[in-house]
Amino acid sequence: MSETKNAGTMDMRIRTVGRHAKEGFKNLFRNGWMTFAAVGAVAVTLFILGAAIALSLNVQNMSISIENELQINAYVSDSVTVKQLPELRKTLADLPGVRSVSFVSKAQALRKMEKVLQSNANLISGLGNPLPNEFVVQATDPRQTAALAFRVQHVKGVEQVQYGKSIIGKLLAVTAAVRDTAIIFIGALLVMGIFLISNTIKITIFTRRREIEIMKLVGATDGFIRGPFFVEGTLMGVFGALLPSAVLYGLYNWLMRSVTLFPPFTLLPADAVVWRVFWVLILCGVFIGAWGSVMSMRRFLRV
Amino acid sequence: MIELQDVWKEYGNGTSALSGVSVRIKQGEFVYVVGPSGAGKSTFIKLMYREERPTKGHIFVGGFNIERLRERQIPLMRRTIGVVFQDYKLLQKLTIWENVAFALEVIEASRRTTQRRVAEVLDLVGLSEKANMYPRELSGGEQQRVGIARALVNKPSVIIADEPTGNLDPENSWGILKLFERVNDRGTTVVMATHNRELVNATHKRVIAIEAGQIVRDQERGDYGYED
Ligand SMILES: Nc1ncnc2c1ncn2[C@@H]1O[C@H](COP(=O)(O)OP(=O)(O)O)[C@@H](O)[C@H]1O
Ligand SMILES: [Mg+2]
Repeated sequence: MSETKNAGTMDMRIRTVGRHAKEGFKNLFRNGWMTFAAVGAVAVTLFILGAAIALSLNVQNMSISIENELQINAYVSDSVTVKQLPELRKTLADLPGVRSVSFVSKAQALRKMEKVLQSNANLISGLGNPLPNEFVVQATDPRQTAALAFRVQHVKGVEQVQYGKSIIGKLLAVTAAVRDTAIIFIGALLVMGIFLISNTIKITIFTRRREIEIMKLVGATDGFIRGPFFVEGTLMGVFGALLPSAVLYGLYNWLMRSVTLFPPFTLLPADAVVWRVFWVLILCGVFIGAWGSVMSMRRFLRV
Repeated sequence: MIELQDVWKEYGNGTSALSGVSVRIKQGEFVYVVGPSGAGKSTFIKLMYREERPTKGHIFVGGFNIERLRERQIPLMRRTIGVVFQDYKLLQKLTIWENVAFALEVIEASRRTTQRRVAEVLDLVGLSEKANMYPRELSGGEQQRVGIARALVNKPSVIIADEPTGNLDPENSWGILKLFERVNDRGTTVVMATHNRELVNATHKRVIAIEAGQIVRDQERGDYGYED
């Protein structure tokens, strides 16, 4: 007996959820342009958010791989003759804390550069070979790279020293700048998205005020009355998340295909990045939509 | 069953609508609330289902202490009261059947209960034949009967009506009154605010007369008593 009763209430729950979903969907299309504007605002917001996340995931990944293969590029001064090179190499190898030293000749460096530039290689072909000879020095302890770089810098015959830290620093600075700008945009757009969603729902509530009045009169609970509006707001948030997710997926794949990069500057695989971005966006969308609908109902549905 | 103890109501704009109203209505009674326009009849009615809250005093309906009710108990209280209005308050986009069923659907009654109860009340008000029509295809009297069917479908112990015959011709008004009498015969309390002198005078029921927010007369088997 009690089992059939439970089954009955369960059945009713499902029916209620179904009803809210149906009514919520209908509401979406009832004021189409408002819905469109609200979803659009959320979509733009979440697009920026998604792009910022994808960027920072990649920068993070690059930083890690750069740190892993921290190496010091010691560019040899042009005044050093080919004969002097083995001696310079020995000096470098004898520095404390050096694990290995390898040599990249001007010619090798040029070939590498041409490979990177591919079709644009002719840009530098007229210049002769502007690249210097180069020793690649690796520290025994990667954490000592900066100190070692300082010592390498002072070896006679070494003109310039470059190592990963500065690149990492630049990368991080760029991401920080992008992040700060994104936060301001996202903050403003978030407020706008919530505002537009809540206004759209207010209009729906207004057009359905007679139904709501009767519902209250015959004893429908507040929760029941709010159901469809909650669904409406949440759906707007979800659509506002699906749209930029799809665009970001397409864009990311296009980037992967059309831009050639070399380690350590490689992009993470699309699936890994886009799925993570997708879930964050959906969560944010649901949050924006739910908040928007709660805001709209606070004043309007007082019993 | 229904009790008001020294109830005062002042609206936000300072209008005093009820001033110290006390009254007791037993389960199963049929009560008219009469009085000139602006006397406070509608306010009296609205206080009973907590559309409005009293400024002072106590109101009991069924087992509920109306002004002490928590927000979440209000729906439960409303399910024990059926309310009928002068303008019927039907949803034009729904059929007669759907209008009545709506009252059960939104309180999550089972489909089977809904089917059975809607059929019963439509039969009671004599509109089974017109179940699939829309409100605009019905006469005013018929629309009001739909309103009453909707008020009854949840088996309330009290029916409250605010000028239910206000928009109807004498013949239709009589039909509505007969319907309320039948509902009352089955043990449901009926409280009806009205301007309809003929109905009141012809039926000899309890009459509560309100003037300027106060009860000036409370008479068993009373009459309308105004020359308006
Ligand atoms: N919502 C309201 N706000 C302010 N004053 C109101 C409101 N409703 C009714 N009143 C005033 O309260 C008094 C009683 O009104 P009401 O209860 O509607 O009387 P009746 O139904 O007997 O005509 C009137 O003076 C009316 O103007
Ligand atoms: Mg009135």
